[in-house]
Amino acid sequence: MASDSDSAYDSAADQNPNSLPDTPINHQFNSAIDDHLSSLTLTPLNDAVSDLAPSQSSNNVLDANSLADQIEAIDRNSSPEFEVSTVETTLEVAVSSEVVVVVEERENNLERESNLESDGGVVVWREVEGDAVASPSSSGYAGERGSSSASSASGIEEIEEHQVRVRDRSLVNGIADSQPAWIPGKRHENEDDASISWRKRKKHFFILSHSGKPIYSRYGDEHKLAGFSATLQAIISFVENGGDRVKLVRAGKHQVVFLVKGPIYLVCISCTEEPYESLRGQLELLYGQMILILTKSVNRCFEKNSKFDMTPLLGGTDAVFSSLIHSFSWNPATFLHAYTCLPLAYPTRQAAGAILQDVADSGVLFAILMCKHKVVSLVGAHKTSLHPNDMLLLSNFVMSSESFRTSESFSPICLPKYNPMAFLYAYVQYLDVNTYLVLLTTNSDAFYHLKECRIHIEAVLLKANLLTEVQRSMLDGGMHVEDLPADPSSRTGSASSHLGQHSPDRFRDTRTGVGGPCGLWHFIYRSIYLDQYVSSEFSSPINTPQQQKRLYRAYQKIYASMHDKGFGPHKTQFRRDENYVLLCWVTQDFELYAAFDPLADKALAIKTCNRVCQWVKDVENEIFLLGASPFSW
Amino acid sequence: MASRRRMLLKVIILGDSGVGKTSLMNQFVNHKFTNQYKATIGADFLTKEVQIDDRLFTLQIWDTAGQERFQSLGVAFYRGADCCVLVNDVNVMKSFDNLNRWREDFLLQASPHDPENFPFVVLGNKIDVDGGNSRVVSAKKAKAWCASKGNIPYFETSAKDGTNVEAAFQCIAKNAIKNEPEEDIYLPDTIDMSGNQQQRSSGCDC
Repeated sequence: MASDSDSAYDSAADQNPNSLPDTPINHQFNSAIDDHLSSLTLTPLNDAVSDLAPSQSSNNVLDANSLADQIEAIDRNSSPEFEVSTVETTLEVAVSSEVVVVVEERENNLERESNLESDGGVVVWREVEGDAVASPSSSGYAGERGSSSASSASGIEEIEEHQVRVRDRSLVNGIADSQPAWIPGKRHENEDDASISWRKRKKHFFILSHSGKPIYSRYGDEHKLAGFSATLQAIISFVENGGDRVKLVRAGKHQVVFLVKGPIYLVCISCTEEPYESLRGQLELLYGQMILILTKSVNRCFEKNSKFDMTPLLGGTDAVFSSLIHSFSWNPATFLHAYTCLPLAYPTRQAAGAILQDVADSGVLFAILMCKHKVVSLVGAHKTSLHPNDMLLLSNFVMSSESFRTSESFSPICLPKYNPMAFLYAYVQYLDVNTYLVLLTTNSDAFYHLKECRIHIEAVLLKANLLTEVQRSMLDGGMHVEDLPADPSSRTGSASSHLGQHSPDRFRDTRTGVGGPCGLWHFIYRSIYLDQYVSSEFSSPINTPQQQKRLYRAYQKIYASMHDKGFGPHKTQFRRDENYVLLCWVTQDFELYAAFDPLADKALAIKTCNRVCQWVKDVENEIFLLGASPFSW
Repeated sequence: MASRRRMLLKVIILGDSGVGKTSLMNQFVNHKFTNQYKATIGADFLTKEVQIDDRLFTLQIWDTAGQERFQSLGVAFYRGADCCVLVNDVNVMKSFDNLNRWREDFLLQASPHDPENFPFVVLGNKIDVDGGNSRVVSAKKAKAWCASKGNIPYFETSAKDGTNVEAAFQCIAKNAIKNEPEEDIYLPDTIDMSGNQQQRSSGCDC
């Protein structure tokens, strides 16, 4: 991870009140607007964000000159570390390592300071005094204490569980599919909180009940971790008793993030340096995944019987949760709250949509055709539409459950954003190794009807050769930065770029090249109206899962800072560290996140972003699902 | 091996400070004993697997602090307990007299489903001290009290030499599962579209 103190943190806010273009992208390619320079206002040195006076340009064009000038003027020492501490009052406990507890007062939602004194009338858990991370104090491993405090954790390497790339599988998946292989099932089941290996893992997730009974743990056996789980409940309940809510505990390099959902407690313990907001969002998704399997009716079981043990209800779903947690490090949908489509020729996607619409008219609530985590087409009845998070959780559920691959299935599922209280029924059938059809209905007797629908859909898709096109798109991938069209101002044809028209030597480039023009390595474009994003394919030099994960984490961090409620929302941000130049640009219509070579020229990078936006606009028919009803509530 | 699912039982240990709650746990879980007294702060948590009739159970033991200043933690700690263990020192009458207060306080704060039948176990600890010569709480007296509170099982234990510790915890686990209520079949609602009104929770959190 990049150390923030080394990095120059530059950002600028460009407020564009007049900008109301009809189309998602509206460009002027001549970016020199001298007036910008005179209307610059610089912020105090310790502020990472500065505001531009209202722009005279009403177009969504990044202005290279003004931004670059502004960047130079902002203090380089400003670091993003202050993010949380200024928003939330924090406190340091003078014990062996730095422990910061952030609590939220329940009544008026104000954060306030909470003192945990090391002796006297206030309770302190021993683990807080001794170890950096909360852990049971007397579970028979006292000899290890002190050896694993966070401050001495410098030698700890992240153990890359899921980064094993299975050669055969990556061949099947094709070159464009860069997500690392995920091995289903529980990892390291024999570990518990006394194991050194368990303590060294960089990111733990726990679900437990309000009585402290373990429900899920990413690593180790839940029952062996019962004491640890009790500790977590004690911490949460103790703070709750005082009318507060614990949100975050910082202990050296570790963050302990808490999320309370009625009788369900979720906890993440991480030393990955991800922002609090991101980790909390991940806990929300984990909770959503649980709701997808059980609905919120599970709360009633706890009302009736507070010692209710819900692990039997979740039997066999370990893989669903571990796959979701794995996706936090490779799937940008987990922090962008948008879905992505498989690139397809416009008529092809239209044809798929038409056949899905047929069945939707016959009483199917949602009909979804997906290839891995990418949407081929989707249709909803009655103007209802799916929340991107529900789609993420649904596709994760389908892809991580092995039984869906082997036979057609009919299963109750809940879409937490649609209706968290009740079940729908999902008919699921794989049409080929990666492509699957999900038909959602409210009728528990609809299996045979949906089976007929599927037979009909499959026949039409085969006849139209659509599955072949889907497979080809999986192999080819979508947008490759090497294919970024030349400077639009010198371009002759207007709509000449199609994804299919790769330069013949592209395959050589992806192996040996240095990314796209002007040091562009990668980008993600999120359309706000469509709730969809498109991410460029990974290529050299970001071609290992570790590098990809690091880039996603960097995006995630910049996403969190752009959406920070205390300082944001921001319009643009330019950040350079030893790994990348990251450029982020948010308008009413879209968000663009781009990564460049760390030595990339600022002005050129900004120009390149304009070209990327134009390129996305040129091929939006192929990379987005257009005409799908927008997210409506 | 046990084919049925493993169960987790939450066990709370209560009693005056110094009666040997932590020592009992350490004897049970780690088979260790020390004469040195260390006050528990807040609570300690231990886990131990036990096997009863071919079935595996995990005991999640909450060893609480006996000092009065920790009593405010009750509600948070007692919630969802499967069994409560009351410990006294047979050499200290006050610790026995206080069992009633501990029991009532537990029932009040944990507010279990069926307080009359909530499983308790009473342990009269430190029977080894001074060869039993300093003993002030007779077995008869203790059993009489247990009988009056709905036949609470009573064990005389020594955390130091391990007397009855295993047997007591076996009984604790057995009592805890006896109290297990019949679980209903989990059957959430299905979304009803027939009313032509979209069923959605009014408090949509998005």
